Amino acid sequence: MAIFVIGVLFKVWKYAMTPAPLKIPQTPAPVGAGGVPVRVLSEVVIFKSLFKSNRVLWLAGYLFHAGLLLALLKHFRFFFPAVPAGFGYLDTLEFYPGLIMLAGLGLLFLMRLVVDRHMFISVMTDYFLLLLLIAIATTGTFAKHFFRVDITQVKEFMMGLIAFKPVDMPTQVMFIIHFSLVLLLLAYFPFSKLMHAAGLFFSPTRNQVDNPREKRLVTPWAVEKPEAIPVAEEAMEAST
Amino acid sequence: MADNEATVTEEEPKVLTDLEKVGEPAVPRKKPKDVHGDELTGSIKVPKVEENVANHKPYLCKPVTMEKLGFPADLREDWHDAAIAKMADLLKKYKSLQVYMDICVKCGSCTDKCHYFIGTQDGNNMPVARAELFRKVYRRYFTTEGKILGKLAGAERFDLDLLGEWYSYFHQCSQCRRCSVFCPYGIDTAEISMAAREIMDHIGVGQKYTNDIIAKVHDVGNNLGMNPKALKATLESTEEDLEEETGQKIRLPLDEVGAEVLMVTPSADFFASPHVESLLGYAKVFHQAGISWTFSSAASEAGNFGMFIGNYSHMQKLASRVNDAIREIKPRRLVVGECGHAWRVAYSFWNTIIGPFDTLDPKYKRPQHICEFTLDLVKNGGIKLDKSQNDHLVPTMHDSCNVARGARMGDKPGGQFTIPRELIKASCNRYVDMDQDTIMEKTFCCGGGGGLLTDDLLELRVQGAMPRMQAFSKVQETHGANFIALICAICKAQFTKILPKYGVSMEVAGGVHQLIANAIELGAKQ
Amino acid sequence: MSFELNGKTYETDDDGYLVNLDEWTEDVGAHIAEMEGVEMTEAHWEVVNFLRGYYEEYNIAPAIKILIKEMKKMFGPEKGNSAYLYDLYPAGPALQACKIAGLPKPTGCV
Repeated sequence: MAIFVIGVLFKVWKYAMTPAPLKIPQTPAPVGAGGVPVRVLSEVVIFKSLFKSNRVLWLAGYLFHAGLLLALLKHFRFFFPAVPAGFGYLDTLEFYPGLIMLAGLGLLFLMRLVVDRHMFISVMTDYFLLLLLIAIATTGTFAKHFFRVDITQVKEFMMGLIAFKPVDMPTQVMFIIHFSLVLLLLAYFPFSKLMHAAGLFFSPTRNQVDNPREKRLVTPWAVEKPEAIPVAEEAMEAST
Repeated sequence: MADNEATVTEEEPKVLTDLEKVGEPAVPRKKPKDVHGDELTGSIKVPKVEENVANHKPYLCKPVTMEKLGFPADLREDWHDAAIAKMADLLKKYKSLQVYMDICVKCGSCTDKCHYFIGTQDGNNMPVARAELFRKVYRRYFTTEGKILGKLAGAERFDLDLLGEWYSYFHQCSQCRRCSVFCPYGIDTAEISMAAREIMDHIGVGQKYTNDIIAKVHDVGNNLGMNPKALKATLESTEEDLEEETGQKIRLPLDEVGAEVLMVTPSADFFASPHVESLLGYAKVFHQAGISWTFSSAASEAGNFGMFIGNYSHMQKLASRVNDAIREIKPRRLVVGECGHAWRVAYSFWNTIIGPFDTLDPKYKRPQHICEFTLDLVKNGGIKLDKSQNDHLVPTMHDSCNVARGARMGDKPGGQFTIPRELIKASCNRYVDMDQDTIMEKTFCCGGGGGLLTDDLLELRVQGAMPRMQAFSKVQETHGANFIALICAICKAQFTKILPKYGVSMEVAGGVHQLIANAIELGAKQ
Repeated sequence: MSFELNGKTYETDDDGYLVNLDEWTEDVGAHIAEMEGVEMTEAHWEVVNFLRGYYEEYNIAPAIKILIKEMKKMFGPEKGNSAYLYDLYPAGPALQACKIAGLPKPTGCV
């Protein structure tokens, strides 16, 4: 858990600190600052560019991320003393976020196996992450619906962790597997492509305003005088 | 080309140096199986992935030019360490590179979007695979994941073979940014290929075409190597032609101090066909509008190949010629001619790298694109166009990649699409657009951009032009389109060469201002 | 790269363009033309000679319009056009004619 928080914060700090010396928004881009959040959010909320590109891929990705979001929201009751206002009704809806996730993940996995272009670019870690997520979603769904993990016990355990006052871990196997896999995922997160979740907000082609003629972009290293290129300098003089 | 084996004497067979190994296509080229080649069906189909079918490599830059540009003459002894050090440097300097190294999830969205992949079916020409060549090295030396897991995480040691792949595939990217449009995170392969070329130059692996041209601009002032005397003679000769054609004294001024407008255009406009037809268009527009203007021999090139090799210093130094010209001419306005990547550099970078343009009149955009300039005149009645002069033409617009996705015209997003189209429609009665998936922000590169417009990559250029040719052949079939309107010197040169390979006349390619030149009404204003 | 002619070695660039302009003779021109598969007629030579003269003065090949204008003078108006030029030099006047004339290859966005 600590690896996750420190690792992600470190990466985010690195992204934020690295300068973007030139205006490289991918145009057409917003010409005013107000348009940028709209553009970035349209990628976050509806995966706009992916939708433009490939509908099947969009569906697979969207199912997975939507399922993940719902699952996370439903987990909130473990992290807060009282269920935050408005989250309670999530429980009254008998849907299966885990299954939505699995549908998306399954499709993503399948595409890596059957589409030759996707297969060409996939390496071990790509498959591994999908399998890890599939395992997490499966054990989570099992824990909730089939093995009926003792929710009160889990909550006490989580609250204890958050308050740094360890309580005995619940002993149901399904919970232990689920919880361990999640920890593994979190520990791996900052070192992997999962960083796209944070990096997306730092992508210069998407978060820059298209106003280079109106507003001069100045970053420290990039406004120095042209470096002398000695031989070319001489040649230039010779030719004039 | 003639069979000249018998008379050409190659040098003694010898062991290749490391540098030659990098520059030599390593695997014998396999003929692609179901590439559509020169058969035009009007539809673009995504090919099956093949490995190593497009092992194109451009000529290596000669030592003398490398040294002139401040790069090592030969592959450095310590090239491996030097490359990693340079990579570390670039990762610190460019947010784009740092972020794009980390966040690709390899979703596959970009895999069918690159014209070079569609044209060659080589897997490494899929944008993500091309970027992976870079990431392999990044992961191995800069990430915990890659250091521990190695190949399982897609990390690899930077060896001579991988460098050879870099040289091949980062010179099969025209930096057109089409992949970036479809990437959920906006990952821009152009940024990665620029960084790769910058690293290669720094270890002594340069590309001849691009580097020769950069050296020529430093030496003589433009990509062609046309010295001021030749430029003057060429402009004078063109003035004579104009007078013969129109009966009017239409000028092509050079180095005239105090002109209202300083015009910076690609040097190809002075020299080549159909480029020169647009030059005539600019001259007629300035003449008829009664606005004084001039070219400058100091800044006789709008293009800036410094961008192609990702070298900030060279790009800045090349651009600084425009500042020299501004100081000399003292114009009030700065206008840029028809050139795609030049407009990206001028629009997006000039203000940062050579700005601010405090001496120019803030009433006008600094700089202004010639299409913005001319359309303003059309709208305020400064010039009149007779559309019937272009009745023999059914034009369609090929959006240049760098203008479409790296710059803008006018005040609104997308002005770079509407303004040239408005100009074409103002000068022609007929107009047709190609398929929506192949124009505007989704436009396909002509196949010759990004420093690949060289004959040693001709096969690649023909293959890369295929998606555009398919889209054109469709409107040719359905609407009788017979003119591809262009706003880029590279597009013009590329199409003039490539169209005949697809059985289309080279006359079909021409500039937007060529249409204006045909249609403009010269003479006394009513 | 290089080629040999009458016992002398001529250095060329990667594309077969003569490196040293001064080494050019009519024999060398004829030899390159042969390698290019171009049969040299008087019209071909006139173009080559004009290119060389122009290059001597300006240190660059002439713009296409200038070449065509000159051809009008040489061969009359009906042959002063780019179609005729391509008849003479099918691979393109700039590339092929310059090569035979011993001029460097014009590069840039052309």
